[in-house]
Amino acid sequence: MTQNTTTANWDNIFEAVEALYDLGWTDGLPILPPTADKVAEFLAAGGRDGAEVVGELPERRREITAEKVAANAVMAGCRPEYMPVVLAATEAMLAPPFNLVGPSSSMGGAAVLVIVNGPIVGELGINSRNNLFGPGNRANSTIGRAIRLILMNACAAIPGLYDRSVIGHPGKFSYCIAEAETETHWTPLHVERGFAADQSAVTVFASEAPRQVRSVGHPEAILYAIADVASSLGTSLSTSGSVGDPAAGIRQGETVVTIAGNSNLWRGWSKADVKEYLYDHIRRSVADFKRAQVFPGDLEPGDEERMVPLTGGPEDILLVFAGGEESNMSSVIPSWGPKVGSTSVTREVRR
Amino acid sequence: MEKAGLPSATICTDRFIPTARGMAKMWGAEDYPTIFTEHPIENLDRDQLRQRAEGLATEVVTILTGS
Repeated sequence: MTQNTTTANWDNIFEAVEALYDLGWTDGLPILPPTADKVAEFLAAGGRDGAEVVGELPERRREITAEKVAANAVMAGCRPEYMPVVLAATEAMLAPPFNLVGPSSSMGGAAVLVIVNGPIVGELGINSRNNLFGPGNRANSTIGRAIRLILMNACAAIPGLYDRSVIGHPGKFSYCIAEAETETHWTPLHVERGFAADQSAVTVFASEAPRQVRSVGHPEAILYAIADVASSLGTSLSTSGSVGDPAAGIRQGETVVTIAGNSNLWRGWSKADVKEYLYDHIRRSVADFKRAQVFPGDLEPGDEERMVPLTGGPEDILLVFAGGEESNMSSVIPSWGPKVGSTSVTREVRR
Repeated sequence: MEKAGLPSATICTDRFIPTARGMAKMWGAEDYPTIFTEHPIENLDRDQLRQRAEGLATEVVTILTGS
């Protein structure tokens, strides 16, 4: 244990749970006590020494040690074998391109979406199908929750103090999914991002809540609807605030798209084809941006035809085959901000 | 910036007082002078924003020059 550790004794679990509330360590729901032996067990499962620094948050003068990660994973209700995933996700969100201080403090109210790929998905039973973003699976629920508790307890993302989200969203409690990569011909997300198919990896993405797209049946019709939803006014991307590329006039950032159902529907389409189509169609007219006062000025001839892309290129669309087998429904998840403000990061799950 | 020897003045809207004070304390500068202005500013037009800035200019100069 570190030198800052103190010990406490509680007579029963209910007393412990109440004490943990009093300490301010919870997300509002009950947590489990991070007992010394449990933390040690989790560190062993993660193969780390407690003092090892997993990453730093220099703006808040925080060093996040493996011990802190383990303690929060225990509190979240994880099993010890989830530790390598929690550690990899923590490393990823503390990598400089993710710029954690931005999405964890901003009024924009982002959550950290964790997407898991590779053999560990099957080994841990991480859900990639029915109720993708919903309840019912321990691995998804507790890995995502551990990330939120790490943010609050180790990274000082304290609601109302350093986390100034105006609205936030339910994904801020837990936001962890897997790709159903063994059930599609599409290239898995982590392989697209440079990892081998037999490696396991997590991708973190600072983002808004998922918006369901209930268009099913024909690929082009589905993609047209997805693009329409992803081109909405009022998202973090279709705003002129904190613009990354001044030439674009709006933020432009990454967008996660999940597509569920039976992959056979997409047998004529590669991931690259889908991303190309979406990049070409996730656009909004200058006229609409003027009507919404995202752009200044009065409408001029040609404004209806001049289209502004909301993503920087097909590579900024992260396409994930996931969701229930029942239907080809989809979801669109816009990023928290411009790509320069926070970029998705993928890290290997080390075991 | 102050640590790098560059005099600086921080302006913050009053909804963020606890956040600003907390960050100052986190950096060991509990008494760091911060100028607070009425929230919000995001809906001000250019002229209103200029007017607001002009109203704070004296305080900014005082902090920058220490006089």
